[in-house]
Amino acid sequence: MNGLFGYFTHFEALVFFAAVVSITFAFLSKRTNIERLKYTFFAFLAFLLVAIGIGWLMFPFSQ
Amino acid sequence: MDDTVRTETAKGSPTMGIAAAIAGWLIPGLGHLILRRWTKAAVYFLCVGALACAGLAMRGGVFGSGAEDLFDRLGFFADLGSGIFYFLAHQFQPAGPDVAHATGDYGTRLFAAAGMLNLLTVLEAYDIGHGGESK
Repeated sequence: MNGLFGYFTHFEALVFFAAVVSITFAFLSKRTNIERLKYTFFAFLAFLLVAIGIGWLMFPFSQ
Repeated sequence: MDDTVRTETAKGSPTMGIAAAIAGWLIPGLGHLILRRWTKAAVYFLCVGALACAGLAMRGGVFGSGAEDLFDRLGFFADLGSGIFYFLAHQFQPAGPDVAHATGDYGTRLFAAAGMLNLLTVLEAYDIGHGGESK
């Protein structure tokens, strides 16, 4: 198991987190499978875009 | 098999809600399994389990009950939310946590997120068991 997850980069960990949490939120909040699929897709994209956006906003402070 | 089929659900009661909530906290998805929400039970177990196992495999920290700092105490409650994964953390992680590296720090967050996610599913299990949910 360590070999599978032990060397995640920050981005890989983010993608994994976004996927798992999006699926769970979809099942918590939507009733039909098609609604769940759409919600998972958009929530996953939103997680990634927001995280990358915040990363870019913080970039000047790292210099 | 579809979770939206209402006829499969046992009639709700406060006792059923509490039983489902406790079961769902101890083993993610078990509350929904008791309430015959097969798909949700499987999805919640796999998602919470995957997050918790990933967090432990990344050698994330697990907060203990003796924390004096407020953030550590919040971390303890978040971790505790993952139920059996919290109690078996030492079995999954024989080498112990390593938060000196970034991967271990990510693991700490993933494990806490698993606990918080499971608490959301516990609330839903309580709601369904209590009879307050129609889906």
